[in-house]
Amino acid sequence: MIRTTSRRLMTCSFNKSVGRPRIVRASAPNFPAPRGGFFRLGMAGGFCLLFGTALAGPTPIDTQFEDQQILVTLPEPALATTALPADPGRLADLIQAQIQQARSTGDPRFFGYAEGFLQQWNGAMTDRLRVLQATIDQSNHRFERARDQLEDIIETSDSRRQSLQALLILANIDLVQGRYAAAAEHCDQLARRLPGLIAASCQAQVLARTGQPETAYRALQQQLEHDPRAGQVERLWAEGTLGDIAAQLGDPVAETHWQTVLQADPDDLYTRAQLADWYLSRQAPEQTLTLTDGYDQVDSLAVLRAIALDTTGSPDASRLAGALQERFAEAQWRGNLLHKREFARFQLDITGDKALALQTARANWTDQREPIDTRLLLRAAMAAGDTGQIKTLAAWLEQNRQQDARYPEIRP
Amino acid sequence: MSQFQVTVSSLALLCLLLLSPAATAHKASDSFLYLDQDRSELRMDIALRDLARALPLDTNNDQALTGAELRAGRAEITRWMEDGVVLSNGSGECRLNGRTWGLSTHSDGPYAAAAYGVQCPDGNTPDTLNYQLLFKQDPLHRGLLSVTGGGGETLAVFSPDQTSLTLTDPPSALALFGTFVYEGIFHLLIGLDHLLFLLVLMLPATLRRKETDPQQSLKQRIWQLTGIVTAFTVAHSITLALAAMNLVRLPIAWVETVIALSIALAALNVAWPVLGRKTWKLAFAFGLVHGFGFASVLGDLTSGVQQTALALAGFNIGVELGQIALLLLVFPVLYFWGRARHYGRAVVPAMLAATGALSLYWVVERAAAI
Repeated sequence: MIRTTSRRLMTCSFNKSVGRPRIVRASAPNFPAPRGGFFRLGMAGGFCLLFGTALAGPTPIDTQFEDQQILVTLPEPALATTALPADPGRLADLIQAQIQQARSTGDPRFFGYAEGFLQQWNGAMTDRLRVLQATIDQSNHRFERARDQLEDIIETSDSRRQSLQALLILANIDLVQGRYAAAAEHCDQLARRLPGLIAASCQAQVLARTGQPETAYRALQQQLEHDPRAGQVERLWAEGTLGDIAAQLGDPVAETHWQTVLQADPDDLYTRAQLADWYLSRQAPEQTLTLTDGYDQVDSLAVLRAIALDTTGSPDASRLAGALQERFAEAQWRGNLLHKREFARFQLDITGDKALALQTARANWTDQREPIDTRLLLRAAMAAGDTGQIKTLAAWLEQNRQQDARYPEIRP
Repeated sequence: MSQFQVTVSSLALLCLLLLSPAATAHKASDSFLYLDQDRSELRMDIALRDLARALPLDTNNDQALTGAELRAGRAEITRWMEDGVVLSNGSGECRLNGRTWGLSTHSDGPYAAAAYGVQCPDGNTPDTLNYQLLFKQDPLHRGLLSVTGGGGETLAVFSPDQTSLTLTDPPSALALFGTFVYEGIFHLLIGLDHLLFLLVLMLPATLRRKETDPQQSLKQRIWQLTGIVTAFTVAHSITLALAAMNLVRLPIAWVETVIALSIALAALNVAWPVLGRKTWKLAFAFGLVHGFGFASVLGDLTSGVQQTALALAGFNIGVELGQIALLLLVFPVLYFWGRARHYGRAVVPAMLAATGALSLYWVVERAAAI
């Protein structure tokens, strides 16, 4: 007999504590530990158990499916192939195509396929393959490994192209992680070796996040207007950056910049999420809904959509929130949760589990410190009344002289 | 010119790699394994997408997998699954006897699902599960394992670094309960402000007020105090349960401040009974606040319903047992000390002053954090 415990029940009751699966595995979890002695807990082994069994109940096995029924649509065979290419150039082409597919559709299986090829590859690791390896590491949040690899490429590579590539990825990791001094250093190197809008965008981001957003915006805007040689890709890159800085300044022109990027490249999920979130913060959930329509498979967009549906009182709200709840429950079981940002946002704005939101937002912030992550942690800390955390954030922002219209609560 | 070409083509690559610094996802590849040790049954769910990549199931190459194509591939699929998943115990490898085969669904779409009876050579349950599927072609693949048996469940994960897991029995309900009783006692002993509050509750009963109270025996007083302490526990349990079930949550900084304040008030009340002499009512009221404070930590850990109730019950009983034990140890000492003349004049006022000062210090410290 097959157990038919209630996965469906679980997804229907997502907003109650009933069946909310919590997986606390063998290590002591990191809790918001209040000072003082009263409530400090000894996290002995006993707590590291699984509470609630709703997660584990699989759907019943359906044996009656039709022969004609299309069960699943498969990805393009060229991308899903398991045949290892024979030469490093073709391998790199394939891996690059898989990374692009993962990025533009938000489907991480392709990162896995790409990594599988790299592990099976017995030939020489060309610089290009090493850059791709670092890119996969970065995408899977193995930042230290990516950083080491990239620094090594920059130092040793004979290929100008791969070394520039490595430099830009490294600057980007530094920027995402809030290491602004290192990011500035790498952006400057890039500007010396490859002047243009990409390097200028890199420098503008650093400048904007370290106290001079107006200056950064004006400089990049001017360069964009007066650089006739710049190609479409570079121009869009600068537009996206201008959108980010404008949002930081609270300037509605952010929308125009991001829309420009999206019109040229609808698959830019990062910009799409930025803009969808911008609309949410501007009390324009209808526009968030338009922007996220058809993107339920992408966690970042689906969470924003769920919040917008909830705000507008849509009858679809509970369906999407339930689907996300199931997705996150599986991701938690898997462990090593990649989408902490999305999960924390979901807990904060949909399920209302403030403690879990804070815990996850804090974990996310150790990896990623973009304004969106800082704001998320700040909101979670305020919701949970964790003033210690707020002070830590304020100190970090002050140290970097970072100001953002999206967290007006903190003024350095 | 060649310099320019290099630059342009490198930019194309640059942008490809940088489009989304934090990539978002559908879902990485997972398969699901449910081992029921009570029923000797194993169920495996593998995503159709993963199967179709590992085996040539899409026979007409139209990038769509139909019901007929899946049925046609059944023998190959089950052979592949059984090769990659091995249950065993000391007597050798266990046999998997196919029972049901078909489709199921997880958060990212359709899965092929198969249920097997598990039969080990010695008739006992397996103690090791080895899982090798899909890792070679997708190192980000994971096998998610649930083991049920003896009324409990444990979860585990297979990865390329961990392809074999030892199947220990999941904790029984009794073990869970016992663990939480222990945690309750532990919590009591490490909480200085909890201990101080208990002391303050105890102090009035150690004083001999011949004019107001009839002379009570030690035993009578201990019974009376037990009632007061129990009132505290009952109140503590109520709010703890409310918070753990996510029905009520209060900001922790406020709660902590009020807790500190309540200790100062209780100390004050011993000297000047501004809140009256009904100590059990006071204990109950303060207990309500204290429950919220503790729940800020415990509430995070317990969210399934049935087991949460058990865990909470265990925890509260642990706290109560600890309190009673302390009462039995400390109260007689204070009681007999109470015969000494200096006790009422110096020891009690000193204890009250120290407790009051410390808790007021906590009030200030915690209020600053609000």
